[in-house]
Amino acid sequence: MLEVRDLDVFYGDAQALHGMALRVDEGEVVTLVGANGAGKTTTLRAISGLQKVARGDITFEGKSIVGRPGHTRSELGISLVPEGRELWPSLTVLENLELGCYAKSARKHRDESLERVFDLFPRLHERTKQLAGSMSGGEQQMVAIARGLMSRPRLLMFDEPSLGLAPVIVTQVFAIIRRLAREGLTILLVEQNLKKALEVADRGYVVETGSITMAGPARELLSNEGIRAAYLGL
Amino acid sequence: MGQVLALAISAVLLAGFYASMAYGLGLIYGVLRVVNLAHGGMIMASAYLSWVLFTRFNIDPYLAIPIVMVVFFVVGVAMYKGLVRFLPRGAAGGVQSLLLLFGVWLVIRNIAYLLFTGDDQAVRTSYSTASISIFGNSYSLNRVLVFVISLVAVAVLQLWLSRTYTGKAVRAVTENSGSSTLVGIDVERVYALTFGVGTALAGLAGVLASTLFAFNPSFGSGELLKSFVIIVLGGLGSVVGIAVGALVLSFAEIFAIYVVPSYLTAAVGFVLLVVVLVVRPSGLFGAKVLR
Ligand SMILES: Nc1ncnc2c1ncn2[C@@H]1O[C@H](COP(=O)(O)OP(=O)(O)OP(=O)(O)O)[C@@H](O)[C@H]1O
Ligand SMILES: [Mg+2]
Repeated sequence: MLEVRDLDVFYGDAQALHGMALRVDEGEVVTLVGANGAGKTTTLRAISGLQKVARGDITFEGKSIVGRPGHTRSELGISLVPEGRELWPSLTVLENLELGCYAKSARKHRDESLERVFDLFPRLHERTKQLAGSMSGGEQQMVAIARGLMSRPRLLMFDEPSLGLAPVIVTQVFAIIRRLAREGLTILLVEQNLKKALEVADRGYVVETGSITMAGPARELLSNEGIRAAYLGL
Repeated sequence: MGQVLALAISAVLLAGFYASMAYGLGLIYGVLRVVNLAHGGMIMASAYLSWVLFTRFNIDPYLAIPIVMVVFFVVGVAMYKGLVRFLPRGAAGGVQSLLLLFGVWLVIRNIAYLLFTGDDQAVRTSYSTASISIFGNSYSLNRVLVFVISLVAVAVLQLWLSRTYTGKAVRAVTENSGSSTLVGIDVERVYALTFGVGTALAGLAGVLASTLFAFNPSFGSGELLKSFVIIVLGGLGSVVGIAVGALVLSFAEIFAIYVVPSYLTAAVGFVLLVVVLVVRPSGLFGAKVLR
C-alpha cells in the first residue's frame, strides 16, 4: 500500500533522513521506533507532503506521490495524527472535526463520519462547542485522532500519540488504535513507548540517525536482546 | 445634552465606515502576517473607479459596489500570485514586504496622477445633499447609507468566516497551516483568496469614501493610518475588536472638538495609537486571532 524508497531529506544543510526505506501493506499495523531525533517525524512529514524530499520515492497504492502538493494527500486516503496534536485551538471541537473532512470526497460523508468518531469518542459528543484549546491534553489527543479519521483515510499515521499523557489515557489511546486495526484500517505508528507499540503492531522498524537499522515482525523485535537493552532498559 | 447625542450618532455613523475600511487590512494581516501598505492606495484607486463609473457611465456609486468589489478581488488575487506570494512572512520578512507594498502604493498613486491629475474630485449624485433625521438631528443620507452598507459587509464577512467551509479554512490556516495542509486545504489558495477578499474590502471602502469625501491621488494615506490605529486598538483580525477599535477612534476624533482646536482633531487617532502601543502593545483586546 505504502512504500518509501531510499529517501533523503534535509533541513537546510543538515541531513535528517539518509536512504530511509519502509513498506506498509494493506491491513497491517506497522510501527516505527527509535530514539529522539532519529527521523521518525521527518519520515511521516515527508509521506504527508509537509516536508520536501531531496531524493528517493514514496508510492501509495502503486502511484508515486513525491512532489505532489501536500494538500492532495487527504484526498488520496492518507491521514496523519501529528506529533503534539496540532489542533486549531480557538476553533471549536466540532469545527476541528468538520475541517477533518474538508477534502471533497470526505465532505459528502460528513454526518456519517461524525457519527463514527462520536461512537469512538463519546466524550467529544458532549464537548462539540468547546474550544479545542481549552481541553485537557488527553481530550485534545482524542480530537486529533478523531480529526484524522474524519477524512475516511485508508492509511492512518500516528506520531507519538501517547506523548505527555497520563497512563490511563495512554491505555485508552492504544485501545483505540487496536480497535481501528481490528476494523481493518492500515496503520503506521510512530512511538517512543516501544513496548506498547510493538505489542499492537504486526511489524516494526527501528530508525537510527535517519535510516532503518533493524526490521522484522513485532514479536521478534520485542524479544530481541539488543532492543531490550537499548530501548527497554532490560 | 442634545449636542452630545448628535455627536455620538455622528461618531457611530463614522465608525461603520472606519470598520469596513480597517477590516481588509486586519484580515490580510491576521491570515498572512503581511501589512498591506498598499491598502490606502487601493482605497484611493477604488474611489476613482467609482468616480469614473459615475461620471462616464452614469452608474450610481451604490450600484457600482458589486462591480468594484469583483474588480478589486481579482486585482488582490493577482497581486498575491504575482508579488506577495514571494515575500518572506512575519517578523523576519517585515521590512521587505513593507517596502515592496509601499512601492506598489507609490506606483498606484503616480498612475492616478497621470490619469486624473492632482485635482480634487467628488461623486455628486442627485441625492448627495439629501438628509435623514435621527432623534431630531439631521444627517446626510450618504452617511447613513455608508453606515448601513458597512455593517452589512462586516456581518456578511463574519458569517462567511464562521459558517462556511471556506471561511473555516481561512481561520484554520491562520492558526495552523501545517494541520490545514493535512486535512486537504490548499493553503496557498486560501492566502490568495484572503488577499483578494481584503482588497475587495479596500474597494468597498473606496466607493463608500467617494460618496462622502472629495479625493485626489494622495487620498488614502489618512485612511491607511486610521486603519492601523483601529486594528492596533482592536487586536488584529478580531471582528468585535475592529468594531470597538473603530468606535473608539471615531468617538475620540469627534469628541476631541471639546478639548482641542478643530485643526488638531485629525491627530487624535495617532495620539491614541501611541498611547495604546505604549500601554498595551497587544491592543485593547490582545492579539486574538479571527473568531
Ligand atoms: N524544523 C527543523 N529544522 C531543523 N532541523 C530539524 C527540524 N526538525 C527536525 N530536525 C532535525 O532532524 C532530525 C530528525 O528529527 P525528527 O523530528 O524527525 O526526529 P524524531 O525521530 O521524530 O524525534 P522525536 O522522538 O524527538 O520526536 C533531528 O536531528 C532534528 O534535530
Ligand atoms: Mg518526532
